Amino acid sequence: MGAEHSSQHSALSPQHLDTVVQVSGFVKRYKKHVAVDGVDLTVHKGEIYGLIGPDGSGKSSLMKAIAGVLTYDGGVVEVFETRVDSERAAERIKPRIGFLPQGLGLNLYPELSVEENIDFFADLRLVPDDELAERKAGLLAMTRLERFRDRPMKNLSGGMKQKLGLICALIHEPELAVLDEPTTGVDPVSRRDFWSILAKLMQEKGMTALVSTAYMDEAERFHRLSFLSDGKVLTSGTPTEVRALVPGSVVTFEATSQLKAIDRLKKSFRQVESLGSSLHVFTDTDNRSTARRQIEVALGELTPSAVRVDDPELEDVFVALLLRKTEPTDLSASQPNRAVAHNRDGLAIEADALIRDFGSFRAVDQVSFQVKQGEIFGLLGANGAGKTTVIKMLNGILLPTEGTGRVAGADMRTAAGSIKERIGYMSQAFSLYLDLTVEENIRLFGGIYGLNRRAMAERYEWIVAMAGLSGYESSLTSRLPMGVRQRLALGCALVHDPRVLFLDEPTSGVDPIGRRRFWEMLTRLAREEGVAILITTHHMSEAEHCDKLALMYAGKIVAEGSPADMKSQVETAAGRLFEVVTDQPGKALVYLQQAGFRGAALFGTKLHFFCRDPDRDKTCACRALEESGLSVISVNERPLSLEDVFVYQVMALEQAGERTDQEAVA
Amino acid sequence: MNNNDRASLAAVRLWVLRLFVMTRKELLQLRRDIPLLLFLIYSFSISVYISGAGISMQLSNASLLVHDGDHSESSRELIHRFREPYFRLEGEVQDPKVGVERLDQGTAMLLLDIPPRFQESISGREPVSLQLQVDTTNAPQGLSAASYAARIVGGFSFDLASVRLGGASAGLMDIPNIESAHRVWYNQNQDETWFQSISHILRMITLFAFLLPAAALVREKEHGTVEQLLVSPVTPLQIMLSKVLAMTLVIQAATALAMATVLKPVFGVPVKGSAALFFLLTALYSFTTAGFGLFAATVTRNQAQVGMVALLVISPMLLLSGIASPFEAMPSWVQSIMALSPLRYYVDVTYGVLLKGVGFDVLWDSILPMALLGGVLFGLGMWRFRKQLE
Repeated sequence: MGAEHSSQHSALSPQHLDTVVQVSGFVKRYKKHVAVDGVDLTVHKGEIYGLIGPDGSGKSSLMKAIAGVLTYDGGVVEVFETRVDSERAAERIKPRIGFLPQGLGLNLYPELSVEENIDFFADLRLVPDDELAERKAGLLAMTRLERFRDRPMKNLSGGMKQKLGLICALIHEPELAVLDEPTTGVDPVSRRDFWSILAKLMQEKGMTALVSTAYMDEAERFHRLSFLSDGKVLTSGTPTEVRALVPGSVVTFEATSQLKAIDRLKKSFRQVESLGSSLHVFTDTDNRSTARRQIEVALGELTPSAVRVDDPELEDVFVALLLRKTEPTDLSASQPNRAVAHNRDGLAIEADALIRDFGSFRAVDQVSFQVKQGEIFGLLGANGAGKTTVIKMLNGILLPTEGTGRVAGADMRTAAGSIKERIGYMSQAFSLYLDLTVEENIRLFGGIYGLNRRAMAERYEWIVAMAGLSGYESSLTSRLPMGVRQRLALGCALVHDPRVLFLDEPTSGVDPIGRRRFWEMLTRLAREEGVAILITTHHMSEAEHCDKLALMYAGKIVAEGSPADMKSQVETAAGRLFEVVTDQPGKALVYLQQAGFRGAALFGTKLHFFCRDPDRDKTCACRALEESGLSVISVNERPLSLEDVFVYQVMALEQAGERTDQEAVA
Repeated sequence: MNNNDRASLAAVRLWVLRLFVMTRKELLQLRRDIPLLLFLIYSFSISVYISGAGISMQLSNASLLVHDGDHSESSRELIHRFREPYFRLEGEVQDPKVGVERLDQGTAMLLLDIPPRFQESISGREPVSLQLQVDTTNAPQGLSAASYAARIVGGFSFDLASVRLGGASAGLMDIPNIESAHRVWYNQNQDETWFQSISHILRMITLFAFLLPAAALVREKEHGTVEQLLVSPVTPLQIMLSKVLAMTLVIQAATALAMATVLKPVFGVPVKGSAALFFLLTALYSFTTAGFGLFAATVTRNQAQVGMVALLVISPMLLLSGIASPFEAMPSWVQSIMALSPLRYYVDVTYGVLLKGVGFDVLWDSILPMALLGGVLFGLGMWRFRKQLE
């Protein structure tokens, strides 16, 4: 830990001296399986502490033990200076803790209304009636759930369920909130909402929070964090400290022959990713010109264009740390040879003014887009925006009310059967038969697609090589790690060599290395074999991999283009993104919002805001903060992420929608 | 053969191939479910033996208390006629009240009260009556105990009469005496184990034919695998039919197991009719019941709910279709509702083929409605399933 970082840390968190949670040498076993193996952790009062790691890394076990609902096999857990080692001790700390278990709305009662759920939890915690009324009004307003007071919980969207879950976990105003993956499966807007609610509560009530997440890009939200992998802490500290562990820079550029470039770069670099048409390479030097030179040397005669060198994101750091532990061969799957690629001419998917009504509800409204062979197309949108309905229509299992479309050359109105034979489909990695082996799964789908014996043998070999499944052939699918399951699911979707591949949220629960490997497979499929890929995802960092994106809102496509186009659209409309570091970020947020910076949002100790005119607005923002008595430590421009784009676009539409609602009422 | 024919032949081949791989998948999945397999094997072997050997409707070991107010030769003679294995003499009580208390406690089932001057009355040619108090909380046992007792007392009375008449004139010939000579068909030894063990197999077939395909379909819904199937060229019909096919096969095998390991070697149940016909009709019955189960699977969301619906639907079927009590004895409205129970027909078919040895010519009026029901139920299930996919 450098002196500079620690001084910054103490400057930012003057009240962080009391220890709320102290864990040392924590061990948890499930039968023979060691889920958590010697974890140490200290959470101070008033901070958001993050546990980051893929599924199965031990986050949930640790959090449950801290919340006093799980026994453990070794080590010491102290919460509020009480040693949690018996049920009695656990009962003593529980009134001061709010626990939100993993899973959307799993702690709630689906048949009860929003208000009834809140009242139930308040009664359980013996919250006095008058206080309850006040808190409830405050929390409902903050979460924008007021309008849905009487709606049964089961009829809420995923994001709303999670917000209600948060209210119920916090209605007794606990001193410590333990929130297990509160943002998994929630769309970016609800996710950002969630973070700002949490920040506000912590600020107002002096609460402490321990939060876990599987999204690497949320790491910036935490004051301090631990990165868990296989039940051990890989690293912990403030985001700045963690970043300092792996010095390096990220070079982003375009190369003429992408796949050739990848092959060459992989010889010298372990982190090579393709993002749409550009490549993203992590180099271990923080000298930017050296980094650039290294890339140019590795590329040889392939000249890079549009080169940009940035500081690495935390995800790059985590992957680098993970890769230190694994063998270099891990990332490079043996590539099977394939002779015939799909014809790149023509369109793989054409949707022309698709409309789908369910009763009086219009789920999809005038949706049109085109996907070429060999293109990766991302369909983004919150839950309920209509993505799934669009995919169902394109898959030939739902007829459009109006409009036409062609998929893989077949008309979706008249030739649904032919569509099904020509497309591959993969939903979340679980939709395989867990009680069948890898080989049995592949052969089952081969049989379903009518492969004859020779074709089956050929494709089987291809899939095992492509997805890196050799050695797993006779393992039961239920025993496979998530990353391997997901590759198997992709293999099964590709068994009949489809021209078009549909992927519905394919990477949930997979660790960052697995996700990168998965994307490498997709890129190869698109670039080498000309497969058209349509993907939906909540991971905005994944959307960066797509060639083209379409953002859906309330059944319509509201923005379309390449990731770069989408970003420049927002830059034109809202301005550039700046990041400010101050000594009191919570207050700074309020002042910035008062000063008219609408997109201002809190990321851990930093604030993000848009500047339409960088020079003028930046000064204006700094002045607003300094006049309020805060000291501004630094202001820097940040590259816009697709999450920023998503949130900006959807928020703008929501506000417009609310305005028209109010006008209609008036 | 022209091109059109060839194409449609290939399409049919592909259709059958898909059904085949789906069916094989079901069987593979079942093979991996070891607890379920063990339960299946138990249900069709040990459990058949237990219910065959253990359940008896006949009176046995009914505990009898006696209050003998007479203590005469005649009273002793009468008491000794209540014999094992039907009755078990628990002892004498001095006070009838104590006897009634014992009935209340449930430590005795019958109380025979012989009045004082019993023998004297008989010899004095006065009419005399005995009192028998029976605990009929278990109605079938109680009623048959009462009727056995009535027969014993009647026999005793008849014997006394014949002795007296015999003493007076030319013997028994003159007493009008109708003897019923009954011939027992189909189960000559009146071996109850036959009926009970076959009934049990029918119960198990019903249970598994309903639950296995229903659970398999709901599990696909729960795990989301059905989604994966629907975007593939597999049709909803193939998805449902493959489950029925696989489970029918399994049930056939289990039934064969029960017949080969318990029915024949242990209880000596004969197969008088055609075994092939029996298995064919078992397949038809499995299909019909599976259709029922699949319909239930389309209206439920998880395996727990399917279990609940099964309980709701199967219990009346098992109780009212003629394996627990005679069908003819039920009120007519129950009979008309049970016309919808496939088990009601399958019961007739099974006993007909196995014990009576009759064939299709006699049983067609049971087979036809069973097939009809199967078609309708499967069709309904298909319709619901398709509708859900919308």
